[in-house]
Amino acid sequence: MPETTQFGGIEDTHNEGSLKANTILVNRYKIMGVLGGGGQGAVYQARDLRFPEAKRLVAIKEMLYPSNDPNQRATTLRTFEREANILATLAHPAIPKIFDFFDQNNRAYLVEEYINGSDLELLMNKTKELPVEKITEWAIDLCDVLHYLHNHQPDPIIFRDIKPSNIMIDSFGKVRLIDFGIAKKFVSGTKQTMIGTEGYSAPEQYKGDATPLSDIYSLGATLHHILTRKDPRLEAPFTFNERPILDFAPKAPQGMVDVIEKALAMEPKDRFQSMAEMKEALERVKMGAAPAAGKTAARTNGNPNATSLFEGEEFSASAIEPRWKFKTEDEIRGGPACFRDMAFVGSYDTNVWAVKMDSGEFAWKFPTTGGIAASPVIDNSNRLVLFGSEDNTFNAVDYQNGRINWTYSTKGRIRSTARVAHDHVFFGSDDGFVYALVAGNGRYLWQYDMGAPVRTRPFVTNDLIIVGAESGELVGLELAGSRKWTYRVKRSINSSPVVDDQGICYFGGFDGNLYALDSANGYNLWRFRTNGPIVASVVKDGEFLYFGSTDGVFYCVNAESAREKWRFTVGKPVVATAAVHKGSVYFGGTDGAFYCVDLKTGKEKWKFETGGGITSAPYLSENIILVSSMDKTLYALPMVN
Amino acid sequence: MNGWIRRVFGKTDEQASVGMQQTEKSVMTNNSGDPENEAATETADLKPVTNAATAPLPQRNIAEGVTRELPPEVMYSGMGEHFSFGQCTNVGKVRPNNQDAALSFFASSRSVDDRPDFGLFIVADGMGGHHHGEKASAITTRVMNSVITTNIYLPLMLGNQDAPPIAEALINAVQKANLEVIRTVPEGGTTVTAVAVIGDLAHIVHVGDSRAYLVSKEGLEQVTRDHSLVQRLIELDQLTPDEAAVHPQKNVLYRALGQNEIVEVDTITRRIPADARLLLCSDGLWAYVDERDIFEIAINNPDPQMACEKLVSLANARGGLDNITVILLKFASS
Repeated sequence: MPETTQFGGIEDTHNEGSLKANTILVNRYKIMGVLGGGGQGAVYQARDLRFPEAKRLVAIKEMLYPSNDPNQRATTLRTFEREANILATLAHPAIPKIFDFFDQNNRAYLVEEYINGSDLELLMNKTKELPVEKITEWAIDLCDVLHYLHNHQPDPIIFRDIKPSNIMIDSFGKVRLIDFGIAKKFVSGTKQTMIGTEGYSAPEQYKGDATPLSDIYSLGATLHHILTRKDPRLEAPFTFNERPILDFAPKAPQGMVDVIEKALAMEPKDRFQSMAEMKEALERVKMGAAPAAGKTAARTNGNPNATSLFEGEEFSASAIEPRWKFKTEDEIRGGPACFRDMAFVGSYDTNVWAVKMDSGEFAWKFPTTGGIAASPVIDNSNRLVLFGSEDNTFNAVDYQNGRINWTYSTKGRIRSTARVAHDHVFFGSDDGFVYALVAGNGRYLWQYDMGAPVRTRPFVTNDLIIVGAESGELVGLELAGSRKWTYRVKRSINSSPVVDDQGICYFGGFDGNLYALDSANGYNLWRFRTNGPIVASVVKDGEFLYFGSTDGVFYCVNAESAREKWRFTVGKPVVATAAVHKGSVYFGGTDGAFYCVDLKTGKEKWKFETGGGITSAPYLSENIILVSSMDKTLYALPMVN
Repeated sequence: MNGWIRRVFGKTDEQASVGMQQTEKSVMTNNSGDPENEAATETADLKPVTNAATAPLPQRNIAEGVTRELPPEVMYSGMGEHFSFGQCTNVGKVRPNNQDAALSFFASSRSVDDRPDFGLFIVADGMGGHHHGEKASAITTRVMNSVITTNIYLPLMLGNQDAPPIAEALINAVQKANLEVIRTVPEGGTTVTAVAVIGDLAHIVHVGDSRAYLVSKEGLEQVTRDHSLVQRLIELDQLTPDEAAVHPQKNVLYRALGQNEIVEVDTITRRIPADARLLLCSDGLWAYVDERDIFEIAINNPDPQMACEKLVSLANARGGLDNITVILLKFASS
């Protein structure tokens, strides 16, 4: 691997290109100059003096022995001779002829046909992009020569090292495969730490299992590099699928993309099973025909079209039938809450509705004089349903019959969902205050002035209340109502903060960032950028955060590394908070659809279309999902994961 | 550089203007092959120091072998609510020079402000012949320390609201170090694993195959992920860890500083449980000492400096085939 070694260690002090011009080797080859100095040995251009009249040029590869031990050298030379003999018998227009080999001055030399041209690596360095048609043609020719090698009798020849620098384009524009693996026998093992991997080799090759299917992988890797111009030696190994071809080469035909993706399959059995098969697929691309690459398209993560074509068949949209629907008189913006056998939801029709969980039958309604945007919350110990209304009032009603228990008036509309904790209820109001009341009787405890409307839901930990405001201020308040810390973002905060078991607080900003703070002091640990305001709150499951953004994407991000694991593209803003249940994450989009997505892969499992945007979190239980929609309806869907 | 040198860069006892008693200690330990700082070390060690916590180490004879015996840890013992640390780097028994670099920077204050302890700890394993490796790792620790002091530590002290998120400041520090390595030692490269500790939150940045381990009663957890070819192969179920340990390309990294102008940096934020340890080390430790031994020594030694010394001795006992660097942070009991 000397080609990719940037820091070779101490033994890299060999004098490369040690032969001077006009040196004559074995009384026959006159050195003209150095063609290249790859790693352990140089390649010279030489003239064959056996043909004094014709100016016959040859390439001579010089190889250094890995060791000075005479026995080891003899073994190396024997291997070299054996392989050179095999290569000398090959006859294919894309394989340079081997004329001679010999051993002189403690070095081995291989005499080959001189090819006037440029290797693909050099060609890439000289160009910004190469025509796709040309690349396709070369790829077909490479399949052809590799097919020839793989079908060599009695033993198949595996090239093992397909990469741009080993592929020459000659003066006729034809592909020639150079640098057969024999040279590798002369490279000594490197002991010191170094940087740079082969980049083009198949995973199984590192176990020593090189097969014809490994050459297929390397050809895929080479084509990927040529098209995307992303050098795999500079990337983590085996990560081609993290650099989608169309992101860098929008002109590449889908068929070509599919062929390369299939060639790059991690498991050999998922690749083309022969060079002939790959060549056939490439020929179809050349003809402009549809690819037969099969399900490779399903790998385009997060593309709903692709996933529904291949993965979604088991649960097509029609397969999900609501158990029941409950229609209110206006949009339902807030999410449902449940207690025992009852479900509660507020509607913009000014009522909070209570329905029976199992049947969706109407139980009671509680009228207010303003729209209800927030979600009701439950105070278990007092059996109360708590919610604010745009009529400025906060209400506590009995869960069974909807009778009023207590009310509290603020000076602004209430759009913040409340939080019940430590026997108190906390909520914000458009009057700019956060309120703390005794949950059982509504007795006033304190209020905190945020100076701007508070529409987020306070999060309460053992010792802090964390809440954000339209001013872009997020505060950590002591339970007694005094401020412990403040964190400011440049735009408003509509996404309710969430604190995990590590004490890390997550919230989204209108500036498009998801923030992670230390809830103890408000220090900003990291932020994750999306391309639109974040209104939804995050849900954390295990080490991952799940949340949507108004950029139309639903994200899965590692909470420790702030790195995206997968994304699911909805296309329309996602403002609803998600919920996680048994390996799936559930959320609604403003496109009106309710999605069930695999937690691990980010692939859609099923979706259910409602007649209006979904702006709030669903309620999940073992057997039912409740979803509010702006089509005025509360849906009860069967729990399917 | 052989052995380790502890440096005392400064010590301040301040009276806060409001009249509250406030003491701040700032200790900086830097083990690196940076020859420019050699002279500074000599003089710093000669300065009279009154604070026991930052006093210079007593002179001891250097025993035959590769590690020096260390005096018992004197720092912060008995100050249960703060953490303590140890640091040791050693050339090993085979290599002609130590290409590793280590840096510890620690500040602890007691005042009405109730500021959390701050610590920055860096391990860098340089690579490249002709002293390029040791220069690359030295530059990396130096540049990172300066960037992090400016962008994290000072804003914390000043209560600066506009400071960048900690992870971003750390990534920025690695990227600055990377550019500096490319500029000044184009032939060299280095790994870097660093942690900025603020209170009980550890912010780790990582490139390459040095490692951070979390050591708690539950065991040893490797927090960082090696950017090595064999690690990728393990993740893809193509190799077992045992096969990787003897793989001919086990030293091949796909990510390091000094390689490319753009370097991708891993960050990890972790709250460290009470009584746990965080261990940073170069592959000179983890490649030769069993994780079980690392765990036993890290968890059973009340004195982190002693634990570092023992770990280095053990790596040398196993052959000392590579440079060995260990930093161990011991977090306070709850």
